[in-house]
Amino acid sequence: MDNTQGLIVSSAPHLKSDMTTSKAMKDVILALVPVTLVAVYFFQTYALFLVTACLVTAAVTEVLFRKLMNKKATLHDYSALLTGLLVALCFSATTEWWKGALATFIAIGVAKELMGGLGWNRFNPALFGRISLILLAPWFVPLNSGLSAWSVNLGTVDTITQGTPLAMLQQGMAMPGFFQLFAWYPGGAMAEASALAVLLGGLYLIYKQHIRWIIPLSILGTVFVLTLVAGQNPFYQLVSGGLMLGAFFMATDWVTCPINDRGKIIFGVAIGVLIVFFRLGLAATEGVGFAILIMNAFVPAIERVTRRASFSAPRAVSIPLPDKGTPVSK
Amino acid sequence: MEVRTFLGGAHIPHYKSFTEDKPITRLSVPKVVIVPLSQHLGAPNEPLVKVGDKVEVGQKIGDSQEHIAAPVHASVSGTVVAIEPRPWYEGGETMSIVIEADESMNQDFVPKVEQNPADLSKEEIIAAIREAGIVGMGGAAFPTHANISQKKAVDSLLLNGAECEPFLTCDHRQMVERPDDLIAGAEMMMRCIGAKTCYIGIEVNKPDAIEILSEKVKDREDIKIVPLAVKYPQGNKAHLINAITGRNVPRGARSADLGCIVRNVGTTIAGYEAVVYGRPCYERVVTVTGPTVPKPGNYIVRIGTPVSHVVREAGVENLEEMKVVVGGPMTGMAQANLEAPVVKSNTGVLILPREMVREDVEYFDCVRCAKCVEQCPVFLYPNEISIACENDMISKAESWDVMDCIECGICAYICPSGRPIVKFIKRVKPEIKKLQRSRR
Repeated sequence: MDNTQGLIVSSAPHLKSDMTTSKAMKDVILALVPVTLVAVYFFQTYALFLVTACLVTAAVTEVLFRKLMNKKATLHDYSALLTGLLVALCFSATTEWWKGALATFIAIGVAKELMGGLGWNRFNPALFGRISLILLAPWFVPLNSGLSAWSVNLGTVDTITQGTPLAMLQQGMAMPGFFQLFAWYPGGAMAEASALAVLLGGLYLIYKQHIRWIIPLSILGTVFVLTLVAGQNPFYQLVSGGLMLGAFFMATDWVTCPINDRGKIIFGVAIGVLIVFFRLGLAATEGVGFAILIMNAFVPAIERVTRRASFSAPRAVSIPLPDKGTPVSK
Repeated sequence: MEVRTFLGGAHIPHYKSFTEDKPITRLSVPKVVIVPLSQHLGAPNEPLVKVGDKVEVGQKIGDSQEHIAAPVHASVSGTVVAIEPRPWYEGGETMSIVIEADESMNQDFVPKVEQNPADLSKEEIIAAIREAGIVGMGGAAFPTHANISQKKAVDSLLLNGAECEPFLTCDHRQMVERPDDLIAGAEMMMRCIGAKTCYIGIEVNKPDAIEILSEKVKDREDIKIVPLAVKYPQGNKAHLINAITGRNVPRGARSADLGCIVRNVGTTIAGYEAVVYGRPCYERVVTVTGPTVPKPGNYIVRIGTPVSHVVREAGVENLEEMKVVVGGPMTGMAQANLEAPVVKSNTGVLILPREMVREDVEYFDCVRCAKCVEQCPVFLYPNEISIACENDMISKAESWDVMDCIECGICAYICPSGRPIVKFIKRVKPEIKKLQRSRR
């Protein structure tokens, strides 16, 4: 027996968990499949077309920017495709395709790759792309006429003319039943077609331990309590607009949320407060997106104030008597 | 049953089923043993024999005048054929005494005395343990006699039977098969350190050990069995103290400062045999295992047995695409060749297939998933530390308390970006130590 032949040598630890970034990203994409299917059911070719446009743009932008910056391609970690899908779901299905593509380009190119790539971005790329489009709105008229030759006629879909539930809420219009709104009600962005489908995806992510329950619960809990205090119907508030998608998929983004549990609570509660302020105080659109992006900027500060002490830090506690360990069960 | 533990830590699949029911058996004596001259933490030993000398099993062949040192003994009867640097399991080479076994000689140790520890004074017990070269056999290799001869008042003796690393079962089997020797050894050590209570901490994935030992001590007040949650690194000294006594272990504190002495269960049994029979530490129980090993088991292996001999005796023919680890899978050392010998602190020899092992081939940027922070048993921020260490930002790493790291390996195990965090940390720690020394 040759003693050195074929041996693998590397540093400790020698075992690995079965979790990798690409597996986690694939799971998040899987968790978005239910709401995407609902959107496709309601908006048919519109939804399919916009999602495809965003996914293709995401892949092309990622490859292009990595190439230009002389870095290894990272398409295989699926994070770019996930961002593309999230951007698409933030738009209503009848949005012109180039708006979705532009938002995706900004998301991947500016908010992610120019910041240093996955792990270095301060802001949630998908939301950054989506919100940028609001700021770029004045350019849309000339752009639209310039790009009219490129527009695609997809026919008509009859469900898309309804107002968004949130606008109806803000204007005090008659609302559909809560359960209809929760499970199955097209209006607004594609991800808003079914809060139930988004919730299912979010619970799957918690079950798979990709995200913790702390951020979604603090956001939803804060919105519930504050809107109740403000005399609104909190259940309607929870299931309308981008709240579910924001709470489960955007605010929980690994890279742009706080590391600690304590930080996650502060982050979630602050987002909840901002959302209620934007919705009731300003009647603004995209309140969830703005709230999360604003709090993304505060993450370094949150990390600083929530840093925990090392296990080995000296503690001013006298030595307890024996038999005072930490029982976990009886 | 009350189960205790510490905060943080990880649930890692424990892969103990290959060997947990395998009774301890003897591995064949190799033709040549390589006995490293110094196998302990402390002052180096000098050889007491020269090339060409005949030695017997158990004969002392290396020792030092210093207090913190433990002698080494011949593990076979035969002839000293070389005293020269030989491979060491942690890498590099170390001065070793090479002995060729003589088949015409008796290869079994013959006890020269049989005495009752109760008849001996504290000093005589400590001297016998030193003479036998007993060191911490859970991996630390600190000389046991130095540990139990402190002047500080100590109220508790903690016996470490957690065996929290995956795959390893040598302590488990010793607790199951030799409960009486373990308890007698505990009594002996309690006398030496003046402890009133002994706690034997055992993870609950060893129910047979808990049951047998609980039965043995059911009428006594001074020895208690403490079931511990199955969580890595439950067997780390500071975490064991924290789980059993609730005491915090601040940096720089020795366990005696906290009123505790912690000993591994295997060390306790070896110490007992050293006092009763004068049996030196020339062999130990080693778990030889892996998912594809034909004959996994808990083997009594002579100190100095080359790893290649152990691997061959376990029936492993092909090492292609395998990682051979000496020690546990989380903190042990991968072997580049199998020439290094088994020494006193080696708990296991693991033969792991490629699918199972982590390799440092490719890693990505930190994605701040927070898994390492959630599970770090020292409450550090391995994410920040890994970025600082990767870029040689020494003082930044220091400000994140990298020196408190116990290198348990959870962060690198869990990292979805495959970052070799422990490797980074090990590279930076000596630099920081240098820096801290220069500041003083």
